[in-house]
Order: sequence, then C-alpha cells, then structure tokens
Amino acid sequence: MADLTTRYMGLSLRNPLIAGSSGLTSSIDNIVELEKAGAGAVVLKSLFEEQIAIEANASLKKAENNDLIYTGKSEALDYIDLKIREETLSGYLGLIREAKQRTVIPVIASINCVTSSDWITFATEVEKAGADALELNIAIMHADHEIGSEEVEARYFEIVSKVLSTVKNIPVAVKISPYFTNLAHMVIKLSETGIKGIVMFNRFYSPDIDINTLTEKSTGTLSNPSEAANVLRWMTILAGRTGCDLAASTGIHDGTAMIKQLLAGASAVQVVSSIYRNGIEVISSMTGDLEKYMEKNRYNYIDQLKGKLKRDENSNVAAFERIQFMKYFSEIV
Amino acid sequence: MAEQVQEYLKVERQQPWREELRKAMKAKERTDITRVKMPEEDPHFRATNSNEVNLGLTKEMALQEARRCLDCANPTCITGCPVNINIPKFIKRIEQGDFLDAARVLKDTNTLPAVCGRVCPQEVQCEVNCFYVQKLGKEAVAIGHLERFAADYERDSGNISVPEVAEKNGAKVAVIGSGPSGLAVAGDLIKWGYDVTVFEALHEIGGVLKYGIPEFRLPNVIVDVEIDNLRRMGVKFETNFIVGKTAGIEELKSEGFEAFFIGSGAGLPNFMNIPGENYTGIFSSNEYLTRVNLMNASNDEYDTPVYSGNHVAVIGGGNTAMDSVRTAKRLGAEKAMIIYRRSLEEMPARVEEVKHAMEEGVEFLNLNNPLEYYADERGQVNRMKVQKMELGEPDSSGRRRPVPLEGSEYFIDVDTVIVAIGVSPNPIIPSSMPELEMSDWGTIKVNKETMESSVPGVFAGGDIVRGGATVILAMGDGRKAARGIDEYVKARKKK
Repeated sequence: MADLTTRYMGLSLRNPLIAGSSGLTSSIDNIVELEKAGAGAVVLKSLFEEQIAIEANASLKKAENNDLIYTGKSEALDYIDLKIREETLSGYLGLIREAKQRTVIPVIASINCVTSSDWITFATEVEKAGADALELNIAIMHADHEIGSEEVEARYFEIVSKVLSTVKNIPVAVKISPYFTNLAHMVIKLSETGIKGIVMFNRFYSPDIDINTLTEKSTGTLSNPSEAANVLRWMTILAGRTGCDLAASTGIHDGTAMIKQLLAGASAVQVVSSIYRNGIEVISSMTGDLEKYMEKNRYNYIDQLKGKLKRDENSNVAAFERIQFMKYFSEIV
Repeated sequence: MAEQVQEYLKVERQQPWREELRKAMKAKERTDITRVKMPEEDPHFRATNSNEVNLGLTKEMALQEARRCLDCANPTCITGCPVNINIPKFIKRIEQGDFLDAARVLKDTNTLPAVCGRVCPQEVQCEVNCFYVQKLGKEAVAIGHLERFAADYERDSGNISVPEVAEKNGAKVAVIGSGPSGLAVAGDLIKWGYDVTVFEALHEIGGVLKYGIPEFRLPNVIVDVEIDNLRRMGVKFETNFIVGKTAGIEELKSEGFEAFFIGSGAGLPNFMNIPGENYTGIFSSNEYLTRVNLMNASNDEYDTPVYSGNHVAVIGGGNTAMDSVRTAKRLGAEKAMIIYRRSLEEMPARVEEVKHAMEEGVEFLNLNNPLEYYADERGQVNRMKVQKMELGEPDSSGRRRPVPLEGSEYFIDVDTVIVAIGVSPNPIIPSSMPELEMSDWGTIKVNKETMESSVPGVFAGGDIVRGGATVILAMGDGRKAARGIDEYVKARKKK
C-alpha cells in the first residue's frame, strides 16, 4: 500500500491534499468534517485586512439606523473599528484554539494583507493561539500607474520581513499571484527570506460585463480546471530552484490534476472550488486516485514521484517555451 | 412636535406679557445685537487650578442676550431640546428681568438646568435650530449661557424654588443609578406622587456628573444643589448600593418596589488592546477622572493619590479626552498631549473644549495613533511608539477613515497615558438579569416610546440604552421613562 504522507513547510501531512482557505474552513464544524473526509491539513479562512473596515462601517451604519444609539459625537463609535477588530480577531483566535483541540491535522492560519502595519501584532497572536503555521495571502492587484514594479515587490519583502521578525516558532508561507514582471526571480528571492512555503497562486476577483444592462459583474468565484495549467507551468519551472516548499493552488479539481502538480514538484496542493462543486467526498476520491496511481506505478512514497517532471535546473526556460509555442501553434498561426 | 404641545406653546406665546415684550423692540434691532461672549478665567491662571473656567454672564449680559431672541411663532429651538424646555418663555422672562421665574420655567421640564447650562452641547441641539442659524446665517441666541445664568441666579439668590409635589399615590419606584437619567426620572415621578428611591453604587450621588466631569467644567457644588432640591421634594437616596450585587431586582420587588428604572450608565472603559497597555501609569479616562473628581486623588493627603505625570499622553479626541488632558495639566504636567488618529475637524469633542484645551497649552498630535507602550524595569510606562496617519475614504458617518502611513513610526517619552476612546455600557445589571434583551452594542433594548425593556416593569434610559451619549439625552430618556412608568403603574392598579 502506498504511503501518502508528505512534508510541507516542515509539517507532517497524512496526504498532500490541503483544504484551502475559504468559507469551508471558517467554522469548527466544517473543519472537523474536512478532517473526517481525509484532508491532510486545513488553511483557515483568511482574515482580510479590509474586513475590519467593512465591518466597522456596517456596524456604524446599523448604529445610525437605530434611534436609540447615540452616534452624533460618540467617543466609542469614533473607535468602533478597534472594537470590531478586537472581536473579529478574538473570534479567529478562538477558531484556531478550537480547531487544535478537536482535530489532529495541521491547522494553518491565514491573513490576507496588503500592508505591513498592525497585522504583524496579530501574526504573533496566531502563533500563541496554537496554529501550526501561518499563510500570508498577499493579494495586491496594482492598478496605480504611478507605483513602479520595484516598489510593489519591495512591499512583499517588507511584510515578510516584519512577520518573520515576530513569528519565530511556526513556519510561514506566502501565497502570491502570478502577476510579476519576473515571477521566477520573485519566487526565488522570496523563498530565500526564511519563509517555509510559497503557494502558487491566489485568485483575484474575475470581472465580466453584462452587455445588456451595461453593468460589471463577476465571472464567478470558483476556479476552472483549465486554470491549473498556469500553476503547472510555474511549478515545473520553479520546483527544485527555491529555498522553500511549493504548494499548488487554483484549478486542481481531481486526482489527476493533483498528481500532475506533485510530479511537477509541488509538496502539497490546495483544493477549494472542487469541494464546493463536488462536495466534501471529492477529498477521498482525489486521495484515492493518488493512491491507485502510486500503486499502479510502483511508487511507495510521495517523494518518489514529487518533482519527477520538474524542469531541469540548467534548462533554458525561455527558449523551451518559444519552441513549445512554435510546435503547438504553427498549425493555427 | 405633537399638536398638543404646539397648541400649548401658542397659547403661552399669546400671553399679554410676551406680546408686550415682542412689541418693545423691532426685530431688526434685536438681530443687530452681537451674541454675548462667555467670560472666562485667564488660561495661564486657570491651568494651575480647578476653578470653573466659564464665569457665567452678568445680569447686563444676560438681559442684552435675551433681547436677541425673536420669540418666534414657530420656536424651532425647542425641537432640538431632548427635554422640550420652553426656551422662548424662559428667555423672555430673563428679558423681562424676572430671573427667578425664568428658572422656574426651566425646572418645569429640566431637573438639572444649572448642569445642562454648563455641559450640554447646545451648538448641535437647540442652538443649531435657532432662527439666527437657520435663516439669518448668524450666531444663535446663546441659549445655554442663558440657561446657566437663570439657574445660577436662582441658586445665588437663596430663593430656590421647589416644584410642587402631588399627594403620595402609594407606589414605590426604584431608580438604579443617580446620573442624569436617574435624576430626571426621580424628579418627575416624585412630582407625580410616587415614592422614589435612587440606588447609587458609589459613595456620592450624581453619577457621571460627579465622577466624569471635572470641577473646572462642572463644580460638584452645582450638582449638589440640584440633588438637594430633589431631596427636598422627597426623593430618597441610597449610596454604596450596587443593584445586581448588594441586592437584585427580585429582592427589591419583595420590598414593595413596583417599577424599576435602570440608568446605570456606561462605565466600562474601552481600551485599544495594543502591546504594553497594562503597564503601570496607563489609565482609562474613567479611572483617572474618577480618582481625581470623586476621590480627591490630586491631594497627597488622601489614601488613593493618582500618579501625576510630567509627560502625559491622552489617547482620543472626545470630551472625555479633553477633560482628562486638562486635568493632567492642572495636576502639574509639563507636557500634556492629545494623541488622536484623525484630524481636528473629525474630533467628537465640543469646539469650546478643544479651544479651552489649546489655550491652556495642551499639545495636539492629530493624525497620530499609538502602536505600543514600553516600560522601565519596574513596569512603569516610559515610552510609546506612535504611527502617523493620513485620512482615507469616508466611513458611513461621512468622516474620513484614518489610514496608517507606512514607515512613519516614532517614539515619544511619556510617564502617564490616559486612554479615552469611549466607554461601553455597565454590564452588572444585565448580567444579573439574563432575561433582559440586549443589543449588539451591549445596551439594553427598550421600547423607544415608553423606555420599557423586555422585562415588564423594568425601564431603562441614558447611556445604558444609548451607549455613551450626552447629559441632556439621558435626561430626555429619564423623562420619557417617567411617563412610561406612570402609565405602567396606573394600568397595573386598574387590573
């Protein structure tokens, strides 16, 4: 029987399938169910930096609509965001504590941040609450033409450096987007900062336009299997070149997609959309497929297949990509 | 305003003495008069003592200011007053020179006129609705200054009127908390013949008026005179009695109390929950002001002196922050600072309080926010890390949200920090009554017409319902609750 256990960021996982950060991991009951279904680890739903401001605003609005609550010159409402922040963060820390009490799989906390301000303090609280690791989801979609790419990249390093200076006892991973001028350079430099994992990639709001109503709309929040291709590309290019583990995320919907990412060099994969689409049973189905594949191909351990198809460290990636383009597009171009 | 009230005001306005006064001066002559300026103690002198800053109007000043009032047919000023004082009537009594009757008019609807004349934010209540502001674009009639004048005149004259009290009706009502809402309830119910007992947790009567507002803004003696008036009307006061601990509502019921009013206020201080906030030398504004105002902590000979620092930082921008920083200045602070994360424009404090603080030498570090406190080896705070802020998008109240400026952190040496970022409702009574319905803000939910809570016979008002409001709003709640209690007791008797 194949051994599915693996190591990611120094954590021991019973299999490489991690239930990714989403609404699925925002309640203790769901987390318990995900463990029962066979997930190797869970990443808790991200606390968004902007969430506090949004909730404070909603609370303020609610107070203003209540004739009895004094809002005019209220000192307490002047600082309501602090109260909301405190309640939100303490609720999150409570979720970590409870998850650690009721499950045995690694619990990875997640913070979605765009600045390096007071989230740093919270990162230390996460560590104290007992999280096994911390994932920093740095979701910066820059549309400001006055900010140069160097400045954008510097912010990533600033956030990471501040978090690592305070979070000493648990591994830290960074989840990034693919939108960098030189993604390979960025990933390798980040991997050398002392972080233990990089998750490729986070997803942004995906815009669409309704041509009849002339309004903007979303294409949907769940990923499609075709989106895994870009992750696979960068996994094959970067695996073996980084100073930390890599995890694949986005578009991994079945066992085959998971196996591909492992062969490309991923230490683990994060799954969300497929659980939403196919139900929690998809976890055992995917890990079952992995087990069957390993047995069929006589792999006893994950490490035997992990990175088997990663790009040669000395290969010229740019030249390879151009040849592949010519090979596959010559007939239609 | 209800039709009945409007009709009453119309009839009052048609009284011959009012008509005569209106005719005595042309409207143009009245509107040409410049608004009176409240005389104040010299800032350098007053910052060294706790004497009251505002000195009050002279008779001449009051008469001149009263002449500005046009005695409008539609007195919009009244709509801004939570206790519906008949504002034109009392002002016209002042113009007439009958200051004692002006005070009587005030006391018809306001149990604490001398207090309200000092601490009410008239600029956003009655005065903002004044014809001068609404139609002429001029400064409002100084209603607050005149209210204070009439109340002070009555007190100083020694002819303090005690409102008439109806014959006892045999119904006992317990009022929990002796702050402005509790005193307002007690004032009305005692007039209507109820047997009223006010239970106060502290050793002094007056609630926030005594422990929260410093002597230089509201002398305790002023509050005591108003409380003494209630005593003379028959209100009983029990101090050092914590309802919910010393005795519960059920025990009081067994002693014959038929209805209850909870006015226990918002005495639970909020903190920022940032690192180092537990070091010695860091106070909540509640603790700091209570120690100074109520426990004589500024006097070394007392058992519980307060640490009076040289470098004092007060966090927040409300009236409590101004009271705290000005108190620190008076206790000898070399450097007394306000650290507020928004700009002067967004400050919730009254303009007058900010002006007074600036005159007294308080430094304002606006658009700054504390991040962390540091202490010496004994745990005494000695330094704080502060971050500069800028204003971002407006929040739902229209005020721009403070946003941290990355990399702008710096350090300030401090030996005392006072956190004045608001208060939450006192939780003692709600925690002793699980059946009481509470809001998301920890306030007691009430019917806004009667102020009755989810527990029949239990009414509430003031900060425990509103979450940190003004004295006059609390009094308005108290008066409304008194009517609610009256209806409740009468309905009960009919059954």
